[in-house]
Amino acid sequence: MRVNPDMSGDVLSAIWQTQNQENTALQQMSTGKRVNQPSDDPLAAAQMVGNQDHSNRTDQYLQNIDTLTSQLQTADGALSSVVQALTQAITLGVQGTTGTLSAGNRQQIVENLQGIQSQLVQLANTSVGGSYLFGGTLTTAPPYVLNSSSPSGVTYIGNSGTNRVQVADGLNLQTNLPGNQLFQNAGGDVFGALQQLITSLQSGSAAAAGTATNQLRSAFDFITGQRIFYGNAVNQLTSTQSFLQQEQVTLKSQANNLVGADITKAATDLTKAATAHDAALAAAAKILPTSLLDYLK
Amino acid sequence: MPGLNTSLSIAVQALQAEQGALSVTTNNISNVNTPGYSRQVATLNESPTFHENGTTFGGGVTLEQFQSVRDQLLQLRLYEETQQQSNSETQFNSLTQIEGIFSDPTQGVGGALSAFFNSLSQLSTNPTDANARQQVLTAANNLANQFHQAVTGLQTIQSGLDQAVPQTVDQINRLTTQIAKLNGQVVQMQGLGQDPGTIQDQRDELIRQLSGMVNISVTQTEHGLTLTTANGVPLVVANQSFDLKSGTGSGSTLQDVFSAQGQEITTQIRGGQLGGTLQVRDQVIPQVLSQLDTLASQFANSFNTKHQAGFDASGNPGGNFFTPPAAVAGAAAGFAVAITDPRLIAASSDGSVGSNGNLAQLLAIRAQQLPSGASPMDMYSNLVLQVGNLGANAQANVTASNLSVRQITDQRSSVSGVSLDEETTNMIRFQRAYQAGARVVTTVDSMFDTLMNMGVVG
Repeated sequence: MRVNPDMSGDVLSAIWQTQNQENTALQQMSTGKRVNQPSDDPLAAAQMVGNQDHSNRTDQYLQNIDTLTSQLQTADGALSSVVQALTQAITLGVQGTTGTLSAGNRQQIVENLQGIQSQLVQLANTSVGGSYLFGGTLTTAPPYVLNSSSPSGVTYIGNSGTNRVQVADGLNLQTNLPGNQLFQNAGGDVFGALQQLITSLQSGSAAAAGTATNQLRSAFDFITGQRIFYGNAVNQLTSTQSFLQQEQVTLKSQANNLVGADITKAATDLTKAATAHDAALAAAAKILPTSLLDYLK
Repeated sequence: MPGLNTSLSIAVQALQAEQGALSVTTNNISNVNTPGYSRQVATLNESPTFHENGTTFGGGVTLEQFQSVRDQLLQLRLYEETQQQSNSETQFNSLTQIEGIFSDPTQGVGGALSAFFNSLSQLSTNPTDANARQQVLTAANNLANQFHQAVTGLQTIQSGLDQAVPQTVDQINRLTTQIAKLNGQVVQMQGLGQDPGTIQDQRDELIRQLSGMVNISVTQTEHGLTLTTANGVPLVVANQSFDLKSGTGSGSTLQDVFSAQGQEITTQIRGGQLGGTLQVRDQVIPQVLSQLDTLASQFANSFNTKHQAGFDASGNPGGNFFTPPAAVAGAAAGFAVAITDPRLIAASSDGSVGSNGNLAQLLAIRAQQLPSGASPMDMYSNLVLQVGNLGANAQANVTASNLSVRQITDQRSSVSGVSLDEETTNMIRFQRAYQAGARVVTTVDSMFDTLMNMGVVG
């Protein structure tokens, strides 16, 4: 049987093929990726788009959590100061209700209470990065302004709006309580009670001061109750954060499964390909130069 | 009874025949690396015998002809596989470029889309933050840029392919002209009973090159070969060739292909380099572009609708965030952010400046079905899947057709290829025969000598 006398084509193709295998293995090892372009594994490349988006999204959620945690902690810190100020105001109120005070002492207490009032206004106007935390969704201006003609001594210019921020897929966390709900609620009106206490002390009515002090107590209870909202939110963020960090790990390993190279396998492939390449070259070196002419004298 | 003269003339015939056969070997050896060359063999025949007194005597040897050794069927299969091979190679080369546009999941339209949604998410933590608002616009403009870059990338590849069309058509015409000329010569020689050997080799090699350009069908007629495109547009009939033409047809900016009669045949060309070029230029790229357009247009429209339901930082109802696409076609190329003032981003759901309610609506688009039935990310990942599949298929086709071509070339070579070992052996055979023939001449000469000296008395 006559065989193809020209082996150069087959030999070259064998050399190219083994070289190509070497290149593939080398590329996998150097990039650490099995899929370097969509055609290497179209399905994996397409799934990587989703994986990448999921991972980006998770990164962003984690950033959101950092931002929100600091916002919520600032708000909680402000409320904690409010609670302290209220404790002080209640003590002053109790002093004020004792009928044995001189007008001068009462005036002293009133001035102290007015100091507390302006401190509370300041706390209710706490802002983070120019955004006021207790103004509802009107966050660009201080929500509370002192107003002596108002029965509560202040005017609230915020609104009752609340915001929710997505911190995980399907989890939108409420991130604020509007000031009117916190400080001027029917269950406890901080500013109203304080103003009333000041007014009754100024007018010298111990009974009215007693009522106002009681109102301050219920405002104290209410605010303390509301602080749970912030505590809960921070707790929820913390647990979401650890969930998301876990998710990041899962996504990374999923990405690695999708497009990552098995380095051990790539190294083995490289060795195999190198051996095959050597063999092809050796065979070429042996076969190509031989000819009948070598044996004719 | 034949005499010495007869022996001498037979010996001379032998010398001539072996010389002739050696010239075939020489020619084979010198063409060992000529593409498409079919080895020739010298056909030696016995010369007519003659009878004398009831005995038959051999008449020596005649060099009948030089015959090329070829297998026409293998040749036809080679044409077939060659057009498949160059078709898939052309497609693969272009698809590799197209894939580059979609290869990195962190970049490109997908990455930019993801980053854009992230910027909205960032803004939702503080809707009045001017930096975060600016960041949304930056991310949106980057998304627009990525759409533009993808479109420009695809269009560049497309116009590169378009420029290749007239060049390929020129090459086809050059080949058909040459083939027609050789075809005429082959017929002429066959008519004279000669083996068209080398000319046929040249013609077949040119047809092989032609089949790399375009899908052809080859028919053997009494006037030589007739070459047509697969759908019957004549390219070569007998010694006449028909030039294809290229040019921009009506209503198209791309190069179309016309038959010699002026009929447009662009869509009918499938195989070969031209077929592959047209396939990618007219099918693959427009398909990818149209999917990008669909994504861009549906995304921009859905986003605008949601955006208009919200309120900007001044409390005014939101306008268009993206420039509304005039039509689906061209939406990706025309993708643009309609606003430049970050305050115009409609983050608020109730008009209050610090509300982020509408951002949640906008963010929801990330996972929502667009009119196409898939979320923006899914549409994009589908596109990546399709491009990847096209690339992977083209690669598989290249590998498969390379293998087929190599097998057929091997087969063809096992029939028609020149083997130096065989030629060397033949050379020795012819040399030995020539030496023997020459020895016969010397012997006859010395016999004559003996005969001449018989009459001489010493």
